[in-house]
Amino acid sequence: MWLILCSGQDISALWAYHGLQWRGLTVELVTAESLTANVRWVHTVGLKGANTNITLADGRMIDSRLVRGVVNRLTHVPLQHLRDAPDFEYATQEFTALFMSWLKTLRGPIYNGVDAQGLSGAWRHASEWVWLASLAGLKTLPYKQSSDDQFDETTQLRRVVPEGTSTSMAIALGDQVFGPNLPPQTSRACRELARISKTPLLGIELVSDISSHSWAFAGATPMPDLRLGGEPLLDALAANFFQSENGYKL
Amino acid sequence: MILLCGIPSETPMALVRQALDQSGTRYALLHQRKFSSMRISMEILGGQPGGKLQLNGDSYSLGDFTGVFSRLMDYRYLPELKDTPEDSPQRNFCRNLFDTLTRWAEITPARVVNRVAPMGSNFSKPFQAQIIARFGFEVPETLITNDPELVREFRARHGRVIYKSISGVRSIVQTLTDDDMDRLENIRWCPTQFQAFVDGTNVRVHTVGQKVFATAISTEATDYRYAYRQSGDHAELRPVELSDELAEMCVNLAAGLGLAFAGIDLKITPDNHVYCFEVNPSPAFSYYESNTGQPISSAVAEYLAGH
Repeated sequence: MWLILCSGQDISALWAYHGLQWRGLTVELVTAESLTANVRWVHTVGLKGANTNITLADGRMIDSRLVRGVVNRLTHVPLQHLRDAPDFEYATQEFTALFMSWLKTLRGPIYNGVDAQGLSGAWRHASEWVWLASLAGLKTLPYKQSSDDQFDETTQLRRVVPEGTSTSMAIALGDQVFGPNLPPQTSRACRELARISKTPLLGIELVSDISSHSWAFAGATPMPDLRLGGEPLLDALAANFFQSENGYKL
Repeated sequence: MILLCGIPSETPMALVRQALDQSGTRYALLHQRKFSSMRISMEILGGQPGGKLQLNGDSYSLGDFTGVFSRLMDYRYLPELKDTPEDSPQRNFCRNLFDTLTRWAEITPARVVNRVAPMGSNFSKPFQAQIIARFGFEVPETLITNDPELVREFRARHGRVIYKSISGVRSIVQTLTDDDMDRLENIRWCPTQFQAFVDGTNVRVHTVGQKVFATAISTEATDYRYAYRQSGDHAELRPVELSDELAEMCVNLAAGLGLAFAGIDLKITPDNHVYCFEVNPSPAFSYYESNTGQPISSAVAEYLAGH
């Protein structure tokens, strides 16, 4: 069983779901919304390892031991049906903690795996991405942040380049990079960034510097719009899943 | 130069500061409640983090700090912000100040006790338990479910069972009683964590870099942190020596979680099985130090100083 875990509103994931099905994979689409209401959860941890068995309201069963690969794009646990409950905040934290542990039980290629900083990979701050991008060998622009900034990070996303800057999105998947045509050195650095950030499917936003014919780092996300990778990205995803099914190590 | 960040009167912070004083190590104290007199700017140039911190009338280059001890509280609960509106300039400044400080601490090459990112594993106990098991520790048999029938079976199989929060929300560990079974239907709306009770001696292990301090706790209570409330007697604490192998496992576990300083909760059974329940990334070690005299704060100070 291969899973696509995403919000029901995630157009990019739904596109990937249909594309992977068309390529012959038996993919189960499981939305975040379907994982919280009228669901039976059985999650065990102990001497024999950790397992999860989920029975969805539509009768489908997801046994973590039978999962062979995952496209994971869960960002949060939607609990609208509990919004008026007195312990709503507590329930949100408990469900999120359960999701973290459940996702940790999944095996096979996982794009992307749960992390202590996010359900579908680490959601890093712009400053940390810049630092990692530089370590990976990407050209980076000077980054500045201070206590005097007129900026509210509780409502705004801090960006590496000014809002409105024209950028391109490359998507690193394993040892391949999809999207814009990049010089080999930049492409290599994108793959390295995915590796050191432990994010096997990573969107890397780049800004083109025409004067020096080079690309500079402008941001990264563990949840890029997959459509920007086009059909070649889905071909590669499907190939990775099939290889894993046949026992090849990625 | 060491940077101490937090509330100076908080006991763990006060102990580390005292240890630094005793060793003659230079430090700067960032008193969180005096945020309005501080300024910080961070920059990353060519991958190198740097910047300036204005504090107590002095200006420091962030690159001069080789060690950082952070026990910052959530700025939203600072008394100085109590009556300020959400969008006030004061609140915005405070948020940006501590955010910039925290972001710098995440990437500085300095020794940081502890960085924020690795502390996240403690947000989910079973998530952390899966990591713990990879380091050779036994973890208690755990069931998280919203199916009451499975809980009945679990209790029938294991006898004494406890329940506690799944997340990092602080909860008192309780034994599942017959009275609790009468309200078991309540779990249907939110899965709940149940664990087979493990009999044995509670041992809190503090790791500071490669150093290990183990404290045995004797109590009849299910949750020794609430010993008096649950059993009517205070818990008794005494220093114990771990085997070299177990001490190394603890050091490896903390390092594996990315924690320079950790509080590891173990239970050692009568037949010498070592169960690990949790790793606390921000341990309130002063309780153990004050009861046993173990020099945990000195070890933290030495670690920060690079000794």
